Amino acid sequence: MTVIHPNMDDASAKIRARDVCVFYGDKQAIDHVSIDISPDYVTAFIGPSGCGKSTFLRCFNRMNDTIGTARVTGRIELEGENILSDAMDVVQLRARVGMVFQKPNPFPKSIYENIAYGPKIHGLADKKPDLDIIVERSLMRAGLWDEVKDRLEDSGTALSGGQQQRLCIARAIAVDPEVILMDEPASALDPIATAKIEELIDELSGRYAIVIVTHSMQQAARVSQRTAFFHLGKMVEYGPTSEIFTNPIEERTKDYITGRYG
Amino acid sequence: MNSPAALAAESAGVRPTRTPAFEQRLARRYRAERNFRLMGLSAVVLSVAVLVFLLGNMFINGLAGFQRAEMPVTINFAEAGVEGDAISLTAPSALQTLEMGGLPDVVAFYAEDQLGETAAAQLSPDAWRDVAAALMADPALITGTRTFQLAASSDLASGLGGEGPPEMQALAKQLASEGKLAKNWDWGFMSRSDATSPQAVGIWGALKGSILTMIITLVLAFPVGVLSALYLEEYAPKNRWTDVIEVSINNLAAVPSIIFGLLGLAVFLTVFPNMRSAPLIGGMTLALMTMPVIVISGRNAIKAVPPSIRDGALAVGASPVQVVFHHVLPLALPGMLTGTIIGMARALGETAPLLMIGMRAFVATPPEGFTSPATVLPVQIFLWSDEINRGFVERTSAAIIVLLAFLLLMNGLAIYLRNKFEKNW
Repeated sequence: MTVIHPNMDDASAKIRARDVCVFYGDKQAIDHVSIDISPDYVTAFIGPSGCGKSTFLRCFNRMNDTIGTARVTGRIELEGENILSDAMDVVQLRARVGMVFQKPNPFPKSIYENIAYGPKIHGLADKKPDLDIIVERSLMRAGLWDEVKDRLEDSGTALSGGQQQRLCIARAIAVDPEVILMDEPASALDPIATAKIEELIDELSGRYAIVIVTHSMQQAARVSQRTAFFHLGKMVEYGPTSEIFTNPIEERTKDYITGRYG
Repeated sequence: MNSPAALAAESAGVRPTRTPAFEQRLARRYRAERNFRLMGLSAVVLSVAVLVFLLGNMFINGLAGFQRAEMPVTINFAEAGVEGDAISLTAPSALQTLEMGGLPDVVAFYAEDQLGETAAAQLSPDAWRDVAAALMADPALITGTRTFQLAASSDLASGLGGEGPPEMQALAKQLASEGKLAKNWDWGFMSRSDATSPQAVGIWGALKGSILTMIITLVLAFPVGVLSALYLEEYAPKNRWTDVIEVSINNLAAVPSIIFGLLGLAVFLTVFPNMRSAPLIGGMTLALMTMPVIVISGRNAIKAVPPSIRDGALAVGASPVQVVFHHVLPLALPGMLTGTIIGMARALGETAPLLMIGMRAFVATPPEGFTSPATVLPVQIFLWSDEINRGFVERTSAAIIVLLAFLLLMNGLAIYLRNKFEKNW
């Protein structure tokens, strides 16, 4: 059974998940997980490898659809709309819920094109001046503008790993989503690039609801206000980050936090 | 490590990597590597040597094929009274008009006058056609004078090459010493078509046939192949039916080409009975053969596109079609083009299926369009190599050089396109 800490004063939930199960063929990866994601905070999913935290994250923008054998049951509401229903438009959902992946994956196009791609396909800006504004603003918010403003026509893949990841974050925020999902965004980066990403997450929180999957507990402690601990496909404990790390209720959480396993 | 020596060495406190036995094994490993490298190098040297020999041989023979024995004849048209004006000489029937008007006799007369009777008799029977072509290209010539280099008969040509009957060799030697017979670079070889005499043949008809056939093949096989590859990789569900289709396509790529020719004969020529020997039918037959190659290489190219690019595009809200056309296709295109060119090169060199649909006919005029009778380069080579006349040997080599040059051009284009579209990720 999931332990939910009582003293979470979250007024409203951006995402409300109820009894979500995910199956890969016959194998169950997520077992009846229910969670409320606050729009104002950074929520971290932690847990040992293979516990299903990434799988669960990918339900929020239906990226599991791309895996043929994956099946998701239950209910996930984004502002009251069930995103798992067939009536939900996946393209629109993904414009509302952006995602940043573990490995930086800029398109093999120019930096400008990387950012402008989302707004272009959604028709958010048709004219070049409007696009210019979006590109500049997105790169600004991602803290990359000063580094790349003179070489917007260079290939996005020519940037360093940390810059590439910030480019991907800029690409995600270019369509002004409501939620940003981050799947271990710093695990392929060095400590300095990681620090920059963490700083960036801090700056972006509040404007976007952010959900981050991480296997670094220090990172979860540094960037998040809410933490959910996953183990073997179940959500074990969910509460304010400070409480999860200093005063966990469940024995398994305590063991994981203190490095007994994981 | 259980040999007594090893155990003894170990008990003596010697590390297993510091024993003489280990050093011996090390030397053996290096020897094995040296031998392997030597074998590989000799294989490369052998294949390069064979290639150089083949191409060199072809090139030396072929250069002679680009030349022909010619005799200079000066014709004064005004004096000869050849009739014609700007209108009649540009009409489609100009050749017939000139023939009826006695142009062959005029040519023969001037040749006899300037070269002597025996030499004039050895003028190629088709020589007057070159004169007619010049008149049709420039009708103003009808009132002027010009010196033509007219083809010698194939007997005299081989005599000049030191072959054939002794009296012909003697005549050739005499004419050559008088400056009345010489081997000249034959520019007409690239603009004429097939003929009965090796002195009068050209490659343009077959080259144009090949180009037209390749256009049909490309236009049919490329879109169908690429779209099939995209559908099978991106949209088709993975089930038993798609497995069957995949196996069928792989098998189709391995089917001997003559079978495709039979199919073309049985199906296409039944549907279009009047198009025997047409580049359209040839192109359709070769497209059937090329398409599976494009599908297979296209699928491999699509598989090589990293999934992370797909995920990235999906995550910003691209629809599946947008993912395919904005991201997957541009990245897979270089690989698809490579496969296409390999398939096209194979189709270009294909003879057997085209024999089946009648492209081995004797076609003395270049094809006017996709539906007129034509032959292609490899078939032309096959036909000429079958001729008894000695002069065709060199012409065959020349045709092979043209085919290889065409092939090289296509491959060069493929490499250029691939480098142009290739991107790093």
